[in-house]
Amino acid sequence: MADLSPLLPAGIYDLLPPEAEREASLVSKLLATLSAHGYERVEPPLVEFEETLLSGAGTAMATATFRMMDPASHRMIGVRADMTTQIARIAATRLGLAPRPLRLSYAGEVLRTRASETSPERQFGQVGAELIGASAVAADVEVIALAAEALSAVGVKELSVDLTLPTLVPSLVAVYGLGEERAAALRQALDHKDAAAVKEAAGERASEFARLLGAAGPAAAALAALDRLGLPHSAAAELRRLAAVQGGLEASMPELKLTVDPVENRGFEYHSGISFAFFSRGGAGLGELGRGGRYEAGEPEMAEAATGFTFYTDRLLATLSEPRPRPRLLLPLGTDRAVAAALREAGWITLAALEPAKDWRGEARRLRCLYLLEDGVPVKIDA
Amino acid sequence: MSAGLILALPRGRILAEVMPLLRRAGIEPEPAFEDPDSRRLRFSTSEPLLELIRVRSFDVATFVAFGAAELGIAGNDVLMEFDFSEIYAPLDLDIGHCRLMVAARAEAAEPEDPRRWSHVRVATKYPEATRRHFARKGVQAECIKLNGAIELAPRLGLCRHIVDLVDTGETLRANGLVEIEEIARVSARLIVNRPALKTRPEEIGCWIERFRRAVGAPRG
Repeated sequence: MADLSPLLPAGIYDLLPPEAEREASLVSKLLATLSAHGYERVEPPLVEFEETLLSGAGTAMATATFRMMDPASHRMIGVRADMTTQIARIAATRLGLAPRPLRLSYAGEVLRTRASETSPERQFGQVGAELIGASAVAADVEVIALAAEALSAVGVKELSVDLTLPTLVPSLVAVYGLGEERAAALRQALDHKDAAAVKEAAGERASEFARLLGAAGPAAAALAALDRLGLPHSAAAELRRLAAVQGGLEASMPELKLTVDPVENRGFEYHSGISFAFFSRGGAGLGELGRGGRYEAGEPEMAEAATGFTFYTDRLLATLSEPRPRPRLLLPLGTDRAVAAALREAGWITLAALEPAKDWRGEARRLRCLYLLEDGVPVKIDA
Repeated sequence: MSAGLILALPRGRILAEVMPLLRRAGIEPEPAFEDPDSRRLRFSTSEPLLELIRVRSFDVATFVAFGAAELGIAGNDVLMEFDFSEIYAPLDLDIGHCRLMVAARAEAAEPEDPRRWSHVRVATKYPEATRRHFARKGVQAECIKLNGAIELAPRLGLCRHIVDLVDTGETLRANGLVEIEEIARVSARLIVNRPALKTRPEEIGCWIERFRRAVGAPRG
C-alpha cells in the first residue's frame, strides 16, 4: 500500500469537522441575504479558456492564475483565481439580453498560484454579488449596504467599511504631468503610505500628496479635508460622487462605520471608480473580510458600468466566534425509527448504534455524544 | 481583543535613539523596560492603553504585518526587505539614519560593466532587497543570507560583495572594504498595521499625531 501522508501542497488545506460544517452554513446564510435582495445565483465553472478568464478586468489576476493545456482543444485553460470576471463574462454573453440592471450572486472556490505574506491560503472560498448595468450613486450605495447587511446577518461585529478612489491618484498624476517612472515610484510609496518615500517621489508636488495621504481617516472628516485640498476638476468630480455615496450610506445605515482612504490602490488595479474593503475590529489581525468596487464589465468597446463585492469565507470563519455545537444523542441498538425521527425533528443530532454495547454511557462518551437515549428519554452523560 | 494598543520596538543600538523620542511623545515605560537584567518582553507604560514589546528589528515588521502589534518602529531597510502589503509607514521619525550599501574588497572594486557579470555572489542580511537591486541592473545576484558580521565574508572568500547597513563606514574600512553603491537611505519609521488603521482610525491617528509632534519638537 502506498504511504498516505496528511501533507498537502503549500496553502492548500482540508476542512475538518466542525469547520467544514461552519463554512457551509456561513455560505448559505450569506447567499440567503443576497438572494432576498433579488441577486440571482449563477455558477460559473472552475476552469475557462485563458483568453476569457484573463480578459478585461481579469488581466490583473494573470500572474495569480494556474494554467494548463486542455488536451481536448489544445488551448490554454486557466483555473479561476477570482470569480468576478466570470460573472462579467456571463452578463455580457449569455445574459446579454437580460434586462438591466442585472443582479447576480455566486459562491465557489478559487485557486491562486501565490499566497499573500500574511495569509498562506492558495485555495479559498468566495461569496459575492455583482450589480451590472447600473452607474447611479444608488447602485454603489446598494451594494455596500447589501454587503454590510449580509455580514451583520452572519454575526460580524464592529464592521468597518473603507471607501477608496483607485482612480484619484492616476488622474492627479496625469494632471500634474509626472513622468511614468516617477508615477510608478509614487504609486508604490502611496501603497505603503510611506510618507518619506512619497515626499521623495512626488518632488515639487510633495505637499499636495502629503496632504492627500494625511486626509485618510473617518469618512466625514476625511471628505472635509479632501474638499479643502482644492483638487483639479477631474478629481473633484470623483470626490463629489464619493461624498454622495457616503451620504447615501449614512442615511440608510447610520450605524455603519465608514472610513475614507483616497490613495489606496493595491489590489484595486482593475477598478474604475468607488471601491471599498470590509474590516472587522474583532478580526483586525486577519486583514480584509472582503472587498469590491466599480469596474467595467465586458468587452472594452461595449463595456457596462458594474459594481459588486466579494467576501473571503476563510477570513470570515476566522473572525466569527464558534457557535455552540448542537448536542449529539446516541441511540442504542434497536431504537424505534419513528422515535428517532421525532427527536431529529425536535433538533437533536442522532447517532444510531450499529452494534450492541455493554456500557452505553461509555459508548456515548467515546462517540462525543453528550446525551444517551434511555427509556425513550435523552439523558445527559457526565463528562 | 484587547482595548489597548501594542507598540513594537526594535532591540539593539537604535533603541537609544528611540527612547528620547518616546518620552517626547509622552510615553514613559515602566522601570523594568530599561533594566538590563529583566527577562520580560512585554511592558506597560504611563499610557494605560499602550503596551510595549521589544523584539528584533526584522520581527517588528512581522508582528505589525500580522496585527499582533498595531504600531511599531522599523527602518525602511526592513520594510524594503519584506514589502508587506499590510504595513503602512506614515511617519519618518528622522532617527537611526544610515545607508544600505553595496560594498566590496578594495581590489575588487575597479569600475566595470556589471551587466557583463553572469552572476554575483553577495553576502547580506537583506537577500530580497539585494536581489531586487541587482535585478534592476540586469544582474543575477546569488545571495548568501548571514545574520551578522557580514564584513567578514569577503575577506574569508565567501563572496566578493556584501550589502549591509553603513553608518560611518568605519567597520567597512577596518575590514578592507570600500563602498561601491548606495541602494537606499535608511531612517526609522513609525509603522502601522493596515487593518488596525482602518478599524481604529481615531486611536491610531492620535498616536501618529503625537509622534509627529515629537519628531518636530526640540530635542533635549
